[in-house]
Amino acid sequence: MTAIAGVSARSRSDRGGRFLVPLVAVMALTSIYPAVYSLIYSLFDWNWGQRLNFVGLANYVDVLASDRFRTALVNTVVFTVSAVSVELLLGLGLAVAVNRVGRGGGFVRTLLLLPLMVSGIIVSVAWKILLDPTVGLVGYGAEVLGFPRLGFLGDPGMAMGSIVLIDTWWQTAFVFIVLAAGLRALPAEPLEAAEVDGASAWQRFRYVALPLLRPVILIVLLFRTIDCMKVFAIIFGTTGGGPLTTTESVQVLAYRTAFKQLNMSVSMTMMVIFTVIVLGIVLAYQRLGAGRELTR
Amino acid sequence: MTRAAVQVLSRPAVLASYRARKRTALVAAWVIVVVALMVTLFPLLWLFEISTKLPRDAFKTPPDLIYLPDFSKYLSIWQTAGFGQAFMNSIIVVLAGVSLTLLIATPAAYAIVRFRIRGERYIKLWLLLAYTTPEFLFVIPMYVLYQSFGLYDTQLGLAFIYQVFAVPFAVWLIQAFFHEVPRELGDASRVDGASELQSLIRVYLPLAAPGLAATAILVGVNMWNEVTIALALTFDQARTVTVAVAGFRGYAAVRWQEMTAAAVTAVIPMLIFAGLAQRYIVRGLTFGAVK
Repeated sequence: MTAIAGVSARSRSDRGGRFLVPLVAVMALTSIYPAVYSLIYSLFDWNWGQRLNFVGLANYVDVLASDRFRTALVNTVVFTVSAVSVELLLGLGLAVAVNRVGRGGGFVRTLLLLPLMVSGIIVSVAWKILLDPTVGLVGYGAEVLGFPRLGFLGDPGMAMGSIVLIDTWWQTAFVFIVLAAGLRALPAEPLEAAEVDGASAWQRFRYVALPLLRPVILIVLLFRTIDCMKVFAIIFGTTGGGPLTTTESVQVLAYRTAFKQLNMSVSMTMMVIFTVIVLGIVLAYQRLGAGRELTR
Repeated sequence: MTRAAVQVLSRPAVLASYRARKRTALVAAWVIVVVALMVTLFPLLWLFEISTKLPRDAFKTPPDLIYLPDFSKYLSIWQTAGFGQAFMNSIIVVLAGVSLTLLIATPAAYAIVRFRIRGERYIKLWLLLAYTTPEFLFVIPMYVLYQSFGLYDTQLGLAFIYQVFAVPFAVWLIQAFFHEVPRELGDASRVDGASELQSLIRVYLPLAAPGLAATAILVGVNMWNEVTIALALTFDQARTVTVAVAGFRGYAAVRWQEMTAAAVTAVIPMLIFAGLAQRYIVRGLTFGAVK
């Protein structure tokens, strides 16, 4: 008895630290080192060459004053808010529907999660073909139904909507899978009690199931928001940020600035500002209780 | 059920309308599911269709639904634009990357589950923030670092930087699976004189093996599909399969048939994973929280 108590006490002591040494070493090198490096070099004027001048906060002033950066930031936020809301609504509806189906639900789930297994670049290839203004099937279908020829990704007014559509096809399954699992795991008693008390199906969903589902919805929102703010592949693979700058997200702009214009320090400045914004959003979600299970 | 409810439900008319509503709901659910399936599967099927059509037929509207499929590009792509090499590179990056992730994340998850560690909360917050960090914040400094250490455009360099998102993700999953191992089993093996490392290897690893497999699959799929980092940190020696697919754009015209054949070839291994490991993937995506 005393032996077991002794082991338990030792197990709970501080000796577990050595199991974390590889993690701390690798994470420091892949996350803290680059962050500090970016912070330092954002204070310089550097474009790959020998020239390396200390300029203080000049890059920050330039980036914050630049229309292009602000446009990219607005584009990113517009994309994130639209894609996340559409995906949440569709995913929730789909979760309710698939859970009702019962027999065959497992097979349906496997087929519906296939888009999640597809790389953003391949998603771009498929949708570039489908949304092509002259030969794309979606435009053709719209024309058959009596709509005029639509430009989709090539039309400044429709390009962002098209990117949201592509992301919706790609990622709604994540929302659906997590919410469907969450719904199945709900305790039966409160729902049955509400049914006995005469609550309609909608009332049971709205006032009993949804509040119980809150933690699951929050974690889905957290992960979808992070992912959408970082959007790169499906824009790089379709519009490259155009037409003009209508679909240019912050990461697409940072890529261009660093690897096409070779303005390294400006690109790092953009990423420092953007990372602060994204991490701020994550911490705000944490405040709401999102992802408690990950950081408890 | 209360007596009032039983009385209400046993009235024949009410019961009939209740059943009718149930049936309508089921039909509505099936309609939604069928539409969702068509929208989900069509783009993938269309990708395949374009890859088997000759350029002159590929973009006819309305499309030919009956045609003689041409699979020649599925053979020729292996000789074109370094696709074969890129496919091998992706396999190497995924194998090296996933091994490294499991090697780092498994002991860490074990420590988090078994011990009380000073600053544990901050380490977990660090993992979340590192996972969240937009790629280009670390890609540009890593580009400079890799250039000077000869790791630029190498499979190993790519596998290493992937740890920044793979390790946090794997720790969350493995920790959830380790939590299911009864604490007493670990304690008992310690009483029998096993070290903590032995208790991890002999008790926790075998019991959590399916969970570790799920973790390996999900981390591997993410690495296989990754684009942003691979685009910036490889050139041609270590170019991965996703970047190679984008490479079929060429200078003058897009070679659609080859590009779609390459895309389908790159997707197939992942679809097979999805089919084989559906149950694990669902558990993984919900961080083991829901069974």
